Amino acid sequence: MSALLVPRVARILDRRDETHDTMTFGLRFREDGEHRAFTFRPGQFLELSVFGVGEAPFCLASSPTRPERIEVTVRRCGQVTDALHTLGPGDEVGLRGPCGNGFDVESVAGKDLLFVAGGIGLPPLRGLIWNVLDRREEFGRVTILYGSRTPSDLVYKEELRAWGDAEGVELRTTVDRGEPGWEGNVGMVPVLFDQVELRPGSTTAFVCGPPIMIKFVVQDLLMRGFGEDRVMSTLERMMQCGVGKCNHCCVGHRYLCRDGPVFSYAQIKEMWE
Amino acid sequence: MKNDAGAVPGSVFVVTKEDLGEWVGRLQADADVIAPHLTPWGDEEFRTVSDPGAILWDFVNPLDPPKRFFLPQTEPLARITRDRDGFRVEEVHDERPRVFLNLRSCDLKGLLYLRKMHATDLPDETFLRRFDSFTLVSLACSKPCPLGFCVCCDAGPFLREGFDLQLTDLGSTVLAECGSAKGRGLLEAGDGLFRPATPADVERRQELETLALRSFGEETCHFGSAMRRISTRRVDGSLWTAMAPWCLECGGCNLACPTCYCFSVKDLPSAAWEDQPETADDASSACWTRCRIWDSCQYSAFTMEASGHNPRDAKEERMKRRFFHKVSAQYYQKDGLLGCVGCGRCVQVCLGTTDMPAVVEAVRKGKWEGGRP
Repeated sequence: MSALLVPRVARILDRRDETHDTMTFGLRFREDGEHRAFTFRPGQFLELSVFGVGEAPFCLASSPTRPERIEVTVRRCGQVTDALHTLGPGDEVGLRGPCGNGFDVESVAGKDLLFVAGGIGLPPLRGLIWNVLDRREEFGRVTILYGSRTPSDLVYKEELRAWGDAEGVELRTTVDRGEPGWEGNVGMVPVLFDQVELRPGSTTAFVCGPPIMIKFVVQDLLMRGFGEDRVMSTLERMMQCGVGKCNHCCVGHRYLCRDGPVFSYAQIKEMWE
Repeated sequence: MKNDAGAVPGSVFVVTKEDLGEWVGRLQADADVIAPHLTPWGDEEFRTVSDPGAILWDFVNPLDPPKRFFLPQTEPLARITRDRDGFRVEEVHDERPRVFLNLRSCDLKGLLYLRKMHATDLPDETFLRRFDSFTLVSLACSKPCPLGFCVCCDAGPFLREGFDLQLTDLGSTVLAECGSAKGRGLLEAGDGLFRPATPADVERRQELETLALRSFGEETCHFGSAMRRISTRRVDGSLWTAMAPWCLECGGCNLACPTCYCFSVKDLPSAAWEDQPETADDASSACWTRCRIWDSCQYSAFTMEASGHNPRDAKEERMKRRFFHKVSAQYYQKDGLLGCVGCGRCVQVCLGTTDMPAVVEAVRKGKWEGGRP
């Protein structure tokens, strides 16, 4: 047993700009044994420390099927993320985790999968998408719907192309506001629902994005016949310890960091205090 | 006490008050002894004592609860240093043997609550190693304290379990009930000072407990119906709205509460610490201490997200949260314990009178009458 709140040292392998304020960092534990021992489920998250600045939770954006590196996609919006954005290859950070429950990938084997993401909500689903694509034959049809405010806010632009080209994957993107040169869809994510064939009976939906987007998407999906237990989402609150002790992220008697962050709509509906 | 008399858990011994100093002196040979004493300015306070004669045996419970010895307000978790090879993160543990003497029953119950919170699900080793280095000796309350309502929380005035040793003041002697192997160790340290209790000693202890229970007046706290209402969403939102302006958001209730343990984690420059780590090879190298720091669910920044969104921006939402955590059946079922031990410190500390008994009464009656006069 090691102390619950003490991180281990990891190195930044590389970093890649996603948008003007968002970067993806490739990470690896400094000790090889620690890296090999690190296993996780898509949808789980890490507590990442910039030493001397602080610690914050970030979803694992990489897939367990590609264990050689851990990836997190980080928007600059506070002390820890500002500091992280100044770091680059070779710099060291602290990692704790994995934390949280994650998506139950095995329970959707053989099912059709619908991914609906808004803005910076794609990273938590990205790990799951790669996990599914790397084990393609185990799942049914895959549909990915992704929206952002503007074309420049779309993350993983290269990968979006790769997903769109993949066999048996339908990908649609949309933006709230177009920009010169954008010839794609304009409008909120739900506008994409009419462009694809939704099969509520055989599909599990994974929805991730800003709270207001989740609300509209979930309402729409329920109206279209998705069962409440077949709409999965991740909830966010200010998190501190990530291990169900500090009480920052509680909703009712549940810890989002420990009992979540992944919940079905049926579970979310029952949460109150 | 004779060793062969066998101070097994459940066994009962007696020591004269004249011999208490000698006993404490022997305990100090192997451990720090923390106990209530009187500060020069006249307040009761828990602290490490050097003079056994300064220990209080008849006292009003200190306002500052004992939790800071187990969960310090700023607690080092790890030292972070940097040298040529990169960062080094070393766990910090404090496992000095300590004896905590004369804990009141409610406070001991509060400590057991804290231990349970840190031991269940993912065990917090930093907390547990420190906690388990303590031997806990409670002093049963022969009379209710002015603001206490432990009797409503199954937290006193006498305890049936959870202590290593429970003492009862019988007048010229002190009765000691052994609750664990650690407690037995303390009795063995008092070899020759303790004698097995007589049936008359035990009977006197029972009388004192009955008397204490009978002495509780109106200042009690009826959790049952409040719990039912809070747990089934039968508290009207307007009640919290009515109470919220009375709360001054000072966080005093959290800090003085023996069971509150919400915290944040921060890296502090190690230079801020007296005991500079000797591990830094280079005096100029970066050096921080990762610390667990008390926080309060009554502060609005407690739930503030990096985006600026705050799900509990409204004061009434934060008050509601506090009482849901302490009094709801959902938490009671999950934790197996009530989040209140009836020590009455929130009554003493809250300037806005939104303390536990007042809020429980308001929830029970469905109306807020503006607190105590």
